[in-house]
Amino acid sequence: MNETGSRQDPWLPPLDPVTVELDVNDSLVTCTVEPRRTLADALRGAGLTGTRLGCEHGVCGACTVLLDGRPVRACLVLAVQARGSRIRTVEGLSGEREEPTGPGEYEGNGENGEPGGGARLSDVQRAFRDGGALQCGFCTPGFLMLAQGLLADEPDASAERVTDVLSSNICRCTGGVPIVSAVRAVQRARKEAGS
Amino acid sequence: MNHRTPSVGTSTPRRGVDDLLTGRARYAADLDRPGQVHVRVVRSPLAHGRIAALDTAEALALPGVLAVYTADDLPDVRIPVRLPFAETAETPPLLQPPLARGTVRYVGEPVALVVAEDPYTAEDAAELVDVDIDDLDVAATMAAATAEGAPRLHESSPDNTVSTVSLRHGDVEAAFSRADVVVRERLTMHRHTAVPMETRGLLAEYEPATGLLTLWGGAKVKHFTRQALGAMLGLGPERVRVVEVHVGGGFGVRGEPYPEDFLVPFAAMRLGRPVKWTEDRAEHFVATNHAREQEHEWEIAATSDGRLLAFRDRAWCDQGAYVRSQGILPGLLPALHAAGPYRWEAFAVDSTGVLTNRTPTGTYRGPGMTEATFARERALDLLAAELGLDPAELRRRNLIPAAAMPFAFDAPEQPHVPPVRYESGDFPASFETLLDAAGYEALTRERQRLRRSGRLAGVGLAPYVEIGAVGPFEEAFVEAADDGTFTVRTGVSSLGQGVETVLAQIAADALSVPFEDVTVDFSDTTAVPMGFGAFASRSTLLAGNAIALAARDLLAKAAAEVGGDPGEVRFDRGTVRGPGGATAPAGRLPAGHGRFDKPHPGFSFGAALSLVTVDAATGAVRVLRHAVLHDVGRAVNPELVRGQLAGAASQGIGGALLEELVYDEQGQPLSTSFGDYLMPTAADLPEIDVFVVEYPTPTNPLGLKGAGESGMVGTPAAVANAVADALGAAARPVTRLPLTPGNVRELLRGTPSPQATTVHP
Ligand code: FES
Ligand code: FES
Repeated sequence: MNETGSRQDPWLPPLDPVTVELDVNDSLVTCTVEPRRTLADALRGAGLTGTRLGCEHGVCGACTVLLDGRPVRACLVLAVQARGSRIRTVEGLSGEREEPTGPGEYEGNGENGEPGGGARLSDVQRAFRDGGALQCGFCTPGFLMLAQGLLADEPDASAERVTDVLSSNICRCTGGVPIVSAVRAVQRARKEAGS
Repeated sequence: MNHRTPSVGTSTPRRGVDDLLTGRARYAADLDRPGQVHVRVVRSPLAHGRIAALDTAEALALPGVLAVYTADDLPDVRIPVRLPFAETAETPPLLQPPLARGTVRYVGEPVALVVAEDPYTAEDAAELVDVDIDDLDVAATMAAATAEGAPRLHESSPDNTVSTVSLRHGDVEAAFSRADVVVRERLTMHRHTAVPMETRGLLAEYEPATGLLTLWGGAKVKHFTRQALGAMLGLGPERVRVVEVHVGGGFGVRGEPYPEDFLVPFAAMRLGRPVKWTEDRAEHFVATNHAREQEHEWEIAATSDGRLLAFRDRAWCDQGAYVRSQGILPGLLPALHAAGPYRWEAFAVDSTGVLTNRTPTGTYRGPGMTEATFARERALDLLAAELGLDPAELRRRNLIPAAAMPFAFDAPEQPHVPPVRYESGDFPASFETLLDAAGYEALTRERQRLRRSGRLAGVGLAPYVEIGAVGPFEEAFVEAADDGTFTVRTGVSSLGQGVETVLAQIAADALSVPFEDVTVDFSDTTAVPMGFGAFASRSTLLAGNAIALAARDLLAKAAAEVGGDPGEVRFDRGTVRGPGGATAPAGRLPAGHGRFDKPHPGFSFGAALSLVTVDAATGAVRVLRHAVLHDVGRAVNPELVRGQLAGAASQGIGGALLEELVYDEQGQPLSTSFGDYLMPTAADLPEIDVFVVEYPTPTNPLGLKGAGESGMVGTPAAVANAVADALGAAARPVTRLPLTPGNVRELLRGTPSPQATTVHP
């Protein structure tokens, strides 16, 4: 950090770095940030680059994370504001509801032929993959977290409600309709599985 | 998978998807190099002016700032044009310098570059660079730029135009004199662009010891970027390495060489530190290529029974303030697509690039063809209304019949104009397929039902042709390894298209090996010596055929080793076996090499069909059904191609209804955030019906045609025609996009536009 705190410029206040401890995906992440640093930048700076920045003004939703279970725009939250909250990012998503029908079936390098995979995908991730809900993948983590929050909060949301909530994020490649279909498929599958 | 089952034609799951789903995928902004520093571009706040003074002292004094560069620090270089046929005698003096030299010509033009230890500091320091600009008069629109006494943007162009592309076919005057009906209209497509969700980003590192420069993030036309940078930075191209990483959508704008593609490596070489740049969204809206802004004066001559005789298209295409790496394509591509899929006796097209004090333009998915299709298909619907003919019937009577293939208009050859030649396909049958499969009859019945219930509802159609397979060539190498795997190297790019999956399918079939054993490597310019990149729906076609040839070459080399014909050798778990039983380790074989040349581009057919309703009170348009059809020649991976078509159509609906890059009279951009530039979301879009037809072309061994843009091309036209149909004859005709609620209310309010003229000779 280059700020000295002794500068004379009246409009550039001292920006003394502070140390923040964040609870991210059930692990402790300690970072030293200026108070003005956003949560998105702090997470990315800590190596959690799955939280992406598409606009940094709160519209596109690429930076969506869960803060105490609620989807928020990490580009609009300061890192210091997230102290004391439970943060979930896309990196913490694999492993969620990963084996509803049997083990081994959802290995990332199985049918998908992916070299060096091995991550277990959650049911939401699998529904995105199988439903063509992503192309370039840049918006995907944000949509996954938004969907995750919605499915947990309102498991029985109507089709209109799902469309409504998911249209708060932008997907340039697919337009978002296949993402709505994928989330609807998760709703149906979870209902059938009785969960 | 049984390796005897062909992979081509199956919807093999796309590769690498898990990295995207888990957040592991690394895009440019996710990359870091030890010791890296960050840049911020200082941009012009004015649309036109002379730089009187540039004071960098205060910025330099900020702790953490390493350097501030202005044009004086740079060699006098320009970003070159990338395609030979898009370069004319007029373009060289109109090319953009990486930093403005003396004059600024659009808001957002780079004037200085700040380098700092931290991105936040770089941004702070950029605010401290004091740019003193003396205002010049602004040519904020094409009308202003071409008016008498307009302010001149560049010394070399007294009338603010670039080049005019003229196409002539047949005797236009004679055809018009025989016409029963002539329809004229001025049609305007608005400025909008690709807006991928990931902004641009670059990371450059220079190693003084080896003299090697590496640039991460440049994609789409890596090999050209390498050559251009090599020349501009005074390194040979062999000392520049361009590495593609994951990209968040390309759609034509990403990966072209931009000013920043020079500035970032330049700073890395000067400072001897890795340099990173991530564009922010507000910058993206003024810095990355804009597109689409054009005006077309269309005039059609027809007989009373609906036979098309001839047309004239006088087009003005906004180039913005400079000619960028795509040269005159903004004016050339619409000219090539004006005629479309119809059998005209004669036509005359003149398409002029106009310089304005706005962000320069380039190509956006379906470039030129989307604009030309909008203008032509809108004019055809006006003609259909005039003749009292069903719009589908008018098209049906005039589509080029299959028996006429291959078909060419007898326009004289010109150096900068590729021939308009349709190689193969059955336009009428494909068109009927769309009408049947999407249920044109049912849609028109649905329209009547909606109308009876008091709604404004309309159906719109738009057939088109799309250029693809732009050469000149691609190369590929196929290597076998002893562990039974194969590596394919090619010069195209992925750009989030799933191309690597499709190319692996082609290689697997050509080698008769399982798809899983093939990996495709194209991320790096060192992987293959030459390549032209991912544009104009060319990747699968050119690289695919090159790979098929390389695989054949590898089989021939194997046969030389183990005997027999190339068709008889078999690869089996790292061993190659000849028909006589002789074997050799596969890894010992030299790489197979293939090169596929495509001197002339091809064209393919498609069409879009839309059913919309309009809320008479608010002017809001809702697309209820939207169908797109395209002739892909041969679908290597049907699911992936359908996803591409549906995604492109969704973008087209956004372009028709929502998106616009608005400027004020002083050339100030008003759409610099997602609050002002409205992007379509799930709530604005229907599920897209996609129909893929396959009429393989004889001009390449795999029979492929391009498809990456096709869902786009007819979509704005079909939506516009549907809205016009919904508004009815009492409203003003739809002559410009986007059809925002405000613009639609205007149309509903007014008497027919004074511009619209229908002449009965
Ligand atoms: S980056 Fe946070 S909403 Fe776009
Ligand atoms: S998949 Fe590319 S933006 Fe959504």
